[in-house]
Amino acid sequence: MAPPPRIRNFSIVAHIDHGKSTLADRLLALTGAMDPKKAVDQVLDSMDLERERGITIKQHTVCLPNRARDGQEYTLNLIDTPGHVDFSYEVSRSLAACEGALLIVDAAQGVEAQTLANFFLALEANLTIIPVINKIDLPQADVEGTRRQIAEILGLNADDAIPISAKVGTGVPEVLEAIVQRIPPPAGDAAAPLKALVFDSFYDPYQGVVVYVRVFDGRVRRGMPALLMSNGRVYEVQQVGVFTPEMKPVEELSAGQVGYLTAGIKRVADAKVGETITDALRPTRAPFPGYRDAKPMVFAGLYPVEDTAYQSLRDALEKLRLNDSALTFEPETSMALGYGFRCGFLGLLHMEIVQERLEREFGLTLIITSPSVRYRVVTTGGETVEIDNPSRLPPIGEIDHIEEPHVRASIFAPTEFMNPIYRLAQDKRGEHRSLEYLGKRVHITFDFPLAEIIVDFYDRLKSISKGYASLDYDFLEFRPADLVKLDLLLNGDPVDALSVIVHRDKAYEKGKALTEKLRAVIPRQLFEVAIQAAIGSRVIARETVKAIRKNVTAKCYGGDITRKRKLLEQQKEGKKRMKQVGKVEVPQEAFLSVLRS
Amino acid sequence: MTRSDQPSAVSLQPTGHHPLGAYVHIPFCRQRCHYCSFNTGPYRPAAMDRFLAALLREIDRGGEAEWAGRVTIGTVFFGGGTPSLLEPEELETLLDRLGKRFALAPSAEVTVECNPESLTRDKAEGYRLAGVNRLSLGVQSLDAGLLVRLGRLHSPEEARRAFEAARDAGVDNLSVDLIYGLPDLDLPGWEATVRGALAWGPEHLSAYGLTLDEGSRWHGEGVAGLPDEETVTAQYWSLARLAREAGYEHYEISNYARHGFRSRHNQVYWRAEEYLGLGPGACGFLGGVRYGNVKPVERYCAMLDAGTLPIGTHEILTAAQRKAERRILGLRLSDGVPFAWLEDKAPLVESWKELGLLEVADDRCRLTEAGFLLSDSLFVELLEPRS
Repeated sequence: MAPPPRIRNFSIVAHIDHGKSTLADRLLALTGAMDPKKAVDQVLDSMDLERERGITIKQHTVCLPNRARDGQEYTLNLIDTPGHVDFSYEVSRSLAACEGALLIVDAAQGVEAQTLANFFLALEANLTIIPVINKIDLPQADVEGTRRQIAEILGLNADDAIPISAKVGTGVPEVLEAIVQRIPPPAGDAAAPLKALVFDSFYDPYQGVVVYVRVFDGRVRRGMPALLMSNGRVYEVQQVGVFTPEMKPVEELSAGQVGYLTAGIKRVADAKVGETITDALRPTRAPFPGYRDAKPMVFAGLYPVEDTAYQSLRDALEKLRLNDSALTFEPETSMALGYGFRCGFLGLLHMEIVQERLEREFGLTLIITSPSVRYRVVTTGGETVEIDNPSRLPPIGEIDHIEEPHVRASIFAPTEFMNPIYRLAQDKRGEHRSLEYLGKRVHITFDFPLAEIIVDFYDRLKSISKGYASLDYDFLEFRPADLVKLDLLLNGDPVDALSVIVHRDKAYEKGKALTEKLRAVIPRQLFEVAIQAAIGSRVIARETVKAIRKNVTAKCYGGDITRKRKLLEQQKEGKKRMKQVGKVEVPQEAFLSVLRS
Repeated sequence: MTRSDQPSAVSLQPTGHHPLGAYVHIPFCRQRCHYCSFNTGPYRPAAMDRFLAALLREIDRGGEAEWAGRVTIGTVFFGGGTPSLLEPEELETLLDRLGKRFALAPSAEVTVECNPESLTRDKAEGYRLAGVNRLSLGVQSLDAGLLVRLGRLHSPEEARRAFEAARDAGVDNLSVDLIYGLPDLDLPGWEATVRGALAWGPEHLSAYGLTLDEGSRWHGEGVAGLPDEETVTAQYWSLARLAREAGYEHYEISNYARHGFRSRHNQVYWRAEEYLGLGPGACGFLGGVRYGNVKPVERYCAMLDAGTLPIGTHEILTAAQRKAERRILGLRLSDGVPFAWLEDKAPLVESWKELGLLEVADDRCRLTEAGFLLSDSLFVELLEPRS
């Protein structure tokens, strides 16, 4: 590895699909870090799932040797970042490990919501930003227009933007040269006490957790006692190395360098992203600022379709958690769905990824309940309780008020879609914050209750904007809201599993929708079934499933008893998946129709 | 249900606790009714002759069983099809043969299903002299227009005349079959039919709700004007009321009788007692085995020609199945079943009681008339668990 003055640490950031992974592959190929003959498209996105979805979920990092035009050998450390809103904290930690960032903008799409979000993250991290205009080979590419947006929206110098086509390779050498020329070399004092930032990790069954680090001060080598400053644990460093992209052990990593270390750490959660590692014998004075626990924001129940798969689901979740410290889960019992887990996710995408991995890698078939958020309940006694399951809400008399998480959302869209977007925002209890005209497009920001946008917001946004609107959001704060618990009752018995927390203004509409839905799927019984939605003792919606009037095989001709029994058996088959609520038989699909709505 | 190419593989051995029933299927009609899904084909004299020869052979074959001499036949029921297509002589031959191969109890109930258009006074008298002591008349409706729509070959007036002819011929046990829930049949129309039939003074009345079973014309083509559930239910209740007022006992889900005139043959079924099935598609129950003859008449005849019993399907009931059947069938009767039979279903019994669908008295559980109407919902719960 080159000495610090010839090291460049950088990331690539972009809106989804603007070509981040393609450029990363190009850089690998061009620097010889990857044998083109062995090239699998987009090697950095190594999980199948990532490749299929075209997005990077887990970040990777690679060390690129590069002979620059000045004839010198440089080491370029590309620190890949996850490309989705759910992972903005992880992105910010990766960026904190860099001195510079390539900000890719699609020449046909222009600046989008996540371009802006990533731009701000890079700015916060004090990075040198190199704007890169990608996909200039496309017929609809508008390089000049994109330059203007870069200047107007991002306030960057448009002349600094490098037009490229990562797909065909045009302009990529210029990008390499700009990395060398424009991004400053890492500062830092190799003689000072060790101070290294954890920006990623993964679990390896043989070596334990492999921790990705950027060394800012000092050096780290094998045998050194490493102190993890957030939790005070000390581990003996077993190996240090770099990614070429394969893991390659080296003597030491010193100030300015990027690589990995292993230290017999058992769980990813013990060396979280944002952690500061120092020398236990000669610790640095203060950890890096900005460390925080990745906090799950979105919650859902995961249930195996087959009751017998409960233990397998638990094992699978344990395994995933080894590698995913943001995933939380605890056992949950639902009358409707049996034994499962209440899981916490960073966001919807994170949830989908976990679901897909459980199904694909572990062969599980799952029922996932509709996602919800964590509410903060302030009791009359002044206590604050966080609940992520409506059934755990304290009795109404003990609630002083409820707060719900809000996000700030940033939406980019062509001006023609403004009206529907405002309507959607209104429908979703959005609070308008700002509006900016950018030529033919607008940039609108809203504050939303998170609960409103985790269910069918993104799909609706895409649909009303013919796919042109882009969205980014970030957690803002908890705000008091007029929230109520909406209970569903069957013949007067509340069905715990079906309670939901809703805004009072939407309670009536929601209650009506849910009772109607249930009426459609609850079969007629021997007695009339009243389906009610209630807030406390006040019923706000009611539907009735009329009693079945007759169910009889009157005729039983010529003693053909076998046929009669077969008919009864058919009826019985249809009742198999019914659950008993009080005296009412409720099919599983009734629960699902509510839980998934 | 096991299908076997070698029907003789199953051994039918009655336990002989009770006299046997015998169901005899006559698989021909002059015209198939539009709601009918039974095993019947067009009547041709030659086909009837060939069939009767085969039927006698089947009786003979059955009579060869070593147990044949030890059992008594307590009831015989000629169903169809249209058994009243048989000449009295033919019927006599069949009954003689049955009596020769098995012991036919002197007090045996012998029923023939009759279609009004094929029943004359002479024929009824001939039947009576041949040993028949009960006729069941397929009236179905007393609405002239509806009878045409059903594909029946008789008018309301002809039905009445057939009934009176049977009475004149000295048949003192007459049953009338009716169907409710028919297309465009409203409550007053149904009550008119019920009142009309009751006025004839039959000893027994069977009334079925229309079902569109697979194999019927209406099932295939569909039929317009079917009354809604509310109306059908109202028809059931008005029948129950009118029959009660006229002094009939509602002794089974679909059956009403004056005192002492329940159908003994049908009670064999409901009490899970044993019976022979004779004729194509006929079902029997012997020694814990439910069996069914092959349905196509040609195949039935050919098998008997070849000297084999024409059994097409059979099912050997497990103890659990027998238990389930006993209570399901028993509950069809107003006599109900001993309470002990349902001891393992106490919560179910309790909830049915609360809903007024079931009564417990004298250590027996009985469905109420409301319970009859919803009986399948209970029976489903009484099925044996799948093994």
